[in-house]
Parts: sequence; C-alpha cells; structure tokens
Amino acid sequence: MDRDALGAILEVYDREERFLLPILQDIQERFRHLPREALTETARYLAVPESRVFAVATFYKAFSFTPKGRKPIKVCMGTACHLRGASTLLEELERELDLSVGKTTSDGQFSLETVNCLGACALAPVFTVEDRVYGKAEGRLAEILERERKS
Amino acid sequence: MITLIINGLKVTVPEGTTILEAARRLDVEIPTLCHHEGLSPQGSCRLCMVEIEQRGRRRLVASCMFPVAEGLVVETETETVAGARRFVLGLLRDRCPRSEEIAALAARYGAKPFGRLPLGERDLCIHCDRCVRACEEEATGCIAFSFRGWARRVEGPFGEAPADCIGCGACAQVCPTGFIAVEEEGGMRKIWGKSFELLRCSACGKPFATREELVFQGLDEGDLLCDRCRKREFAASFTRGVR
Amino acid sequence: MSRLESAKALDEWRRSLRASRCAGRRICVCGGPGCLAAGSADVHRALVAASQKASFAVDVCLDVVRTGCQGLCQQGVLVTLQPQGTLYCAVQPDDAEEIVDAFLQGRAVERLLYRDRARSVEDVQDVPFYLRQEKHVLARCGLIDPYSLDDYVVQGGYEGLARALCLESETVLERIVRARLRGRGGGGFPAGRKWEACRRASGDPKYVLANGDEGDPGAFMDRSLMEGDPHSLLEGMVIGAYAIGASKGFIYVRNEYPLAVKTLQRALEAAREKGLLGKDVLGSGFSFDVEVCRGGGAFVCGESTALMASIEGRPGTPRVKYIRSSERGLWESPTVLNNVETWANVPLILSRGVDWFLSLGTEGSPGTKVFSLVGKVKNTGLVEVPMGMTLREIIFDVGGGMPKGRRFKAVQTGGPSGGCLPEASLDLPVDFDSLNEAGSIMGSGGMIVMDDRTCMVDVARYFVSFLVEESCGKCTPCREGLRQMKTILDDLSSGRGRPGDAELLRSLAENLRDTALCGLGQSAANPVLSTLRYFPEEYAEHEAGFCRSGVCRDLFRFVVDGDSCRGCGLCASTCPVGAVSGEKGRAHVIDQDRCIRCGKCCEACIFEAIVVGEVTS
Repeated sequence: MDRDALGAILEVYDREERFLLPILQDIQERFRHLPREALTETARYLAVPESRVFAVATFYKAFSFTPKGRKPIKVCMGTACHLRGASTLLEELERELDLSVGKTTSDGQFSLETVNCLGACALAPVFTVEDRVYGKAEGRLAEILERERKS
Repeated sequence: MITLIINGLKVTVPEGTTILEAARRLDVEIPTLCHHEGLSPQGSCRLCMVEIEQRGRRRLVASCMFPVAEGLVVETETETVAGARRFVLGLLRDRCPRSEEIAALAARYGAKPFGRLPLGERDLCIHCDRCVRACEEEATGCIAFSFRGWARRVEGPFGEAPADCIGCGACAQVCPTGFIAVEEEGGMRKIWGKSFELLRCSACGKPFATREELVFQGLDEGDLLCDRCRKREFAASFTRGVR
Repeated sequence: MSRLESAKALDEWRRSLRASRCAGRRICVCGGPGCLAAGSADVHRALVAASQKASFAVDVCLDVVRTGCQGLCQQGVLVTLQPQGTLYCAVQPDDAEEIVDAFLQGRAVERLLYRDRARSVEDVQDVPFYLRQEKHVLARCGLIDPYSLDDYVVQGGYEGLARALCLESETVLERIVRARLRGRGGGGFPAGRKWEACRRASGDPKYVLANGDEGDPGAFMDRSLMEGDPHSLLEGMVIGAYAIGASKGFIYVRNEYPLAVKTLQRALEAAREKGLLGKDVLGSGFSFDVEVCRGGGAFVCGESTALMASIEGRPGTPRVKYIRSSERGLWESPTVLNNVETWANVPLILSRGVDWFLSLGTEGSPGTKVFSLVGKVKNTGLVEVPMGMTLREIIFDVGGGMPKGRRFKAVQTGGPSGGCLPEASLDLPVDFDSLNEAGSIMGSGGMIVMDDRTCMVDVARYFVSFLVEESCGKCTPCREGLRQMKTILDDLSSGRGRPGDAELLRSLAENLRDTALCGLGQSAANPVLSTLRYFPEEYAEHEAGFCRSGVCRDLFRFVVDGDSCRGCGLCASTCPVGAVSGEKGRAHVIDQDRCIRCGKCCEACIFEAIVVGEVTS
C-alpha cells in the first residue's frame, strides 16, 4: 500500500470521529478498495477503536475489501428498471462478462455491482460503466462492452 | 414526581423513569432481552413492548426506553401486547433454535416458530447488543457489530481476535444466551480466540482477573484483591472505624 | 464584486446583473439525470461550438448553458430556447448547427419540436406534459445554470432571505407555521412545529439538516433540485437557521449522487464569497454555515436518527426516538431535519407570502409537490403539481397515460415505505392524508406506474428483497421478520407457495408495522399490506401456482392464441432463443421447452395474440 497516498488523505481531515466516513470514502476512491493497513492507520489517526472502523467499513455499501475494477459496471435495480427487465439485463451482463455480481475480472478491468436507482428511469433498464450511462441497451451489450474494453 | 397508571394501578415515580422501571416497582412482569440494568438502554429486541394510550391514540412502545409522563395509561397484558411478544419470540425461535433461554421464554408466552427461514448455520446470538454495549461502556470497545441486516454479527475487527481485548469477560457476563464462549482452566481465561493469564487474589488466592484488565483500570499489581475480598476488607475497615 | 453587506446591496446587484444580460438569448441544454444518460454532455459541447462559430460570422451574443432537469426525461436530450421557450426533443450533437442557425434567424427547427398526435408544438408551455403543471419549486430548475449564483439571483434568488433578515426571527417562524408547510420527505409532519420545538429547546449549538439521501428507487426529485437549483436549498436552510437560531447546517447527500455533491459545494463557495452564507449574513449580524456530507450507500440513512448517526461517523443505525430530534438530535443537540424539497419551499413562502402559498394545493396540504413519474407511462419525467390533483390527472394528463396497448394496473407511491394503489383509487386527490388512508404514503415523490404485465406479488417481493438488503439489523422484527417475509414471497413466486401463505404474510407484516424500531421497519409492511389489500386474487393464484401477469417464470407459459395470430412473424424474429416458429400467414407456435419466458414476443405482437396461460403438467 502507498503510505504517502494514505498520509495525504488523512492530513486533510481534523482528528474528529465524524470524519471517519469521508476518510474511508477517499481511501476507497484512491485504492479502489479498503486496504487493511489503511483501516488500522485510520483508527489510530482518529483515536477510535478499530472495531468501529471495521463496523463502518462493513455497514456501508460504498466500501469493498477486494479491489473493484478500473471500470466498475453498475446495473440499476431501481423500480422502473425492475419493471422493465433489469434482472434479465443483469443476467445478460453476467454472461457476457463471465462474471458474477460483486466480482472483478481477472485483468482488473471490470467489476460488476448492482445499485438501487440511478435516476435515469426514462431509459430503463440502465447500467453505467464508470460515469457513462447506457439505457435500453438490450441487444447491444456485446458491442458496448467491446468498445469499453478497448477505450 | 410523576404519576401514571399501569394495568389500572397508580404509581408515582421520579421524572425520567422508564415505564419498565415503574412497572417493576409494582411487580408487574414485562419480559426483556436487550435490557440490562448496568447498561444504557437501546430498545432493540422489542420484547418489552407495552400498550400506551396518549391523546386518544393507542400504540405499542418499548417500555425499557419510554419515559413516564403524567397521566400516562399503560397496559402490559392486552392481546396486542401478547401478540407482539409472540411475534418477537417466534422470530427468535427460528433464528436461535438451540437456545434454551429463548425456548423457555417462548413456551412461557405461547410463541411458536414461523418456520420459514432459509436453512443455514444458526448460532445462539440474538443480536441484543448487550456484549457490545458492555465492552464499550466498561472496557475497550474492541468488539462491535459488523455488516448489516441479516448478515450483521458481533466480532472483533476483520473477524479476528480483537487486539484490544483485555479479557475482562464483561461481554460474556451480560450475554443472555451463552453465545460468547469463555473458558477458564488452569489459571487461564480463553475468550474471543485469545488466552489471558489470570492473576490470583492476594487474600483468598482465587484466580480472578487478567493483568490487562488491571492495567486498563489503572490498578497496580500490589493491590490484588478479588471483588469479594475487597468488599470484605471494606466492611472490616468500616466496622473498625466505628469502634 | 465583493461581499454583499446588506439586503439593499443584494437588490442593487440583482438590478445591475439584469441590465447587463445580453438580450437574454439562451440555449439551455438539459443536464438532468435522464438527459445526461442520453448524452447531453455531447450535445452541449456541439452547441457551444456551433454558437461560437456563428457569433464569429454575425456579431451576436448567444449563451449556451447546461441546466438542471427540464422535466420531460422521456424525450431527452432536451434543449429549450430562451426567451421564446421553444422546446426541442431528442436532440443529437449533429443537430447543433441547425438549431443555432434557426435561432438566429428567428425560426424553429420543425423536426425537433415535440409532436403531439402528429401536430408539432412549439411553445414549451403548450406541451401537454407541462400544461397541467405548476412549477414553483422547480421554476428555476432547467432554466438556470446551476453553477451560476448570478443566474439564481437574476431569477429572484435570495429575495426570500433578504426579506427574512429584515424581520424578527419569531416572525419568520410564525410565517412558516401559518403557511402549514408539511415535510416533503414522506411523513408530512408540519415543518413549523418542528422548528418551533427546536427554537424553544435549550441546548447549544443548534443544527439544521437537509435530507438529500433520496434512496427510494424510482425517485429523483431531490437529486434534480440539488443538481439543478442548489441555491434554493441553501437559501431555505439559511432562513430556517435564522428562524430557529441555529449556527451550523449539514446537507446529507446520497452516495450515488456525486454531481449533486459537486454542485452544492460550488454553490456553498459562491454564497460564502458573496456574504450570503457564513459570518454576518448580508450584514445582519446573523452567522450560519453549511457543510456537505456524503452518504455511504445505505437506504436506512434516510431515516432521521440514522442520518444523524452517519454524520457523526458511525454506522447508520436508527435510535429509539421517544425524545424528538428537535430537542435532542445531532450530537444530542436540538436539531431540525427537513427534506431537500421542504427547504426549497421556504424561500418561496418568504418572498411570495403566506397567502400565496396557502392558495396552492389543499386545505390540509398547501403548496405543490414534485414527483418523478416513472414506470409504464408514456411521459417519464419530473413533474410539479399542486397538492390535491388526482392520481388520474397526474398519470393520464401529465404523464400521457399507458404506453400503447397496455392497461393500467397500479401506481406505487412512497417507494419501499409506500404502497400500491389500484385503478379504483385513481380519483384520490394526492395529498398526505388521502394517500395514508388508502394504505400508501405520499413519500418523497416517487410515482411508479404499473401495467397489466406487472405482477403484484413480484412487486411485493421486489420491495421486501430491497428492504432485507437495507435493514440495518438492529431490531428483531425488521431483521428477522423481513427475512421470513422474503422467503414466503420467494416461495410464492417460484411455485413453492403453500395455502395460507398470504395470511401468514399479512400477520407478519402487521406485526412488523406495530413493533419495528424505526420508520423503515414500520413502513416496510406497506408494499405487502397494500398489495394484499387490493390484489388478493393474485396472491391466491400464486398460492395455487399461477401468475396471470406473466412475470413469475415458473408459474405461467406464453401461448399463441390461434384465432388472433396473423402469422406476421414479428414474434419469431424477436425471440432471443428461437422458440417461436411457424409459416408466414399461419398461426405460430411456441416451443415451451426452449422458451425462457422473457416476454419479448408478447411485447412485440401487435395483434395481442400471445397470451399468458397456466402451466399444465
């Protein structure tokens, strides 16, 4: 783990308990997961029990303990998407990527996860790759993924 | 002072008292699980629900936390209350089928398991949070609930033996179902996957506390008295003083 | 220009801004969630380039701005021309030059106009979707550049704050009480009563919080406000803080909304720079500042005490609240928490007056309400209507009704805490009390329309599964009860249902409602109880192993109705697994062993010849 990068994240924040969540978010963003040493270091920095840090890290869905892909794919499971076939879309993505939800491809490029609502209900069912939103994409999946692989 | 009515009986208690405390003064029985006198209340097991009437509206509240109010009318034995108890205990019967304590309570209040949980590993933890509160309030806060919802579980950081554990055993002492395993043998205490050497009381010679515990409490090792001997000592010094 | 030292200085600044604006000609590109997904960033870039090119040729000044949500998401990317109000739909980057050229020549690009039954509509106000709406809270959303404080001020922004600061703080509070503003986050609790209790409570400091943890799937009202008109939220919070006597505020934004966080942070900076926030607001002596907190991805954090726990840096588990947050909230201090939309109403009440506000909506629920209208409806989008409009008017007049060939079955309001209402409830006026009585809730404003191809048992299962994932696990009823309910619903929708399951489900749900610790658990019963109440026949059929809606894959099969089938072959060509076959002009057949029951053939058929049939063993 890059200790300097962690130090740079921590020093932005005062040593107050309330900054635990934003610190973990910065760590997740920088390292694409929460490295164990980073959590121990955060506990020390904020002077909170390590158990608290672990509790927060496991409670919130934004955090993961294994690295997410460089291009995280998020499939919207919102109500409008559900009604318009989100689960079929998810199955198709799983098949195309040969990947199950929560996992990352072996080359570290893609990871697959579900989210509750992306607010793009007009285009349901939708999924995102990084910040690119794809709606009504049935039948175009292979083509989209191929383009994403190369870019 | 505040006067309220529980099951038709008047009781007067200081402001800030909970319904549960007031009921116990009247010897009215309300079953509890997450409640523990030595710990701050949290109202999460929902077994102590009672029915209250306020501004013409009846509703269930957790008696362990609801503060008394002047003229409050409380009922602890209505069908609604009984139904709530059966519901909570039925759910816990499914979650912890091996727990004798839960089975006994369920039998007492006529609760049956619903039987629709998926199969899987079951343990004795009813998620009452007493251990976590005990550790936070009396010790180092080395255990906590990790994850959430159905998957929530009490454990040390990273699911491992908690580095900060001082082996005091407060968590095991307050656990109502015996989920937290503590073993004492040959002068050693095993808890949370760690082993602690037990120090002996300088008066009676019984092993009673871990070194880490004394350090945490800021006591030095010259002062090795177990609780019982300390009380005896105190009583003795008191009577000496009177003479 | 530097800090504004008084209300008068703000007024002068506004006047000078208005005077300096070039003829007001603007191209507004929608940057709302739906249009962003449809590629509005590219359209914006193309329009900027086209307008620069044009302004070299002719000496004109043409502003191209990215705005917040313009509402009609279904037709994105939307582009509106100001001041004419011309609305273009489904704009592509390639259309940019034509749009700019036409604009400069004072004509419209016919092919991009909204089409209503073969007639193209030029003025945005005449588009049926907008016709019955009354945009007040959303008035600026879609019109201004969310990053520009100037834009907000030109449109009358911070006028409410200036007025408030000239009044005694009690008077401000009294106006909110008199306006009977009710919380837009779901419960409908009178905001004024909350504020009053907090003002009276002893304890220092006091906090005001904005709940922007919009977790209901299918809801994007607060997101649109935060991303489209962030200052209206800020202005409301400053006014509230002044009325209550709070010195610090927090805006808690859902983790999935990074753009909202960014937009709000820029708004905060701009407001601070101008002296509209921070020390000595507008030279009044009153000081107040706001911080943005980003959620961690937990639906339960929309619950007030969980939200506070999260701001404090702990897992978002709710606390028992027999003592109200207005007395003991964030860090045990008196706290007022209101939803984003509630705060955005506050400046309007101050600037346009209590009587104006009371003239909108109904007696018990004055004002307007913003909804995100989604699901099986023609015009998916963001709408604002006066309270008291009926569900039918919203869905059929504003929303344009069902897509072709589909029949209305239910409308879901209030997300996982709400319920499904049937056709018989369509004439209910939409206000807090009517929806409650019908077994749903207003909720924060998600409105999901469901058609005859929606299975109500599956809908209940969807919400219960969602809640099982999101339950914090603290109290027994929610942690254990929901899990049991999910198993029963899973069984029902996969053919393992047993007689009596519906009754067991009802009993579990009712107990959950009465015993759960927090609002999430108590209201978690609503999707189940409302579907049981209005669609009991579907539960009965599922117990017996049939899904009439063709959703639960093990409980039905698609069959071709030989009398209706014309043998056009459309179904066969859409089937992804080649399960449909037949000669041209003759009735087709479905190979049941191959069919995966995806329903694509059924959607494709224009003769309604593919129907749902029972599974015969």
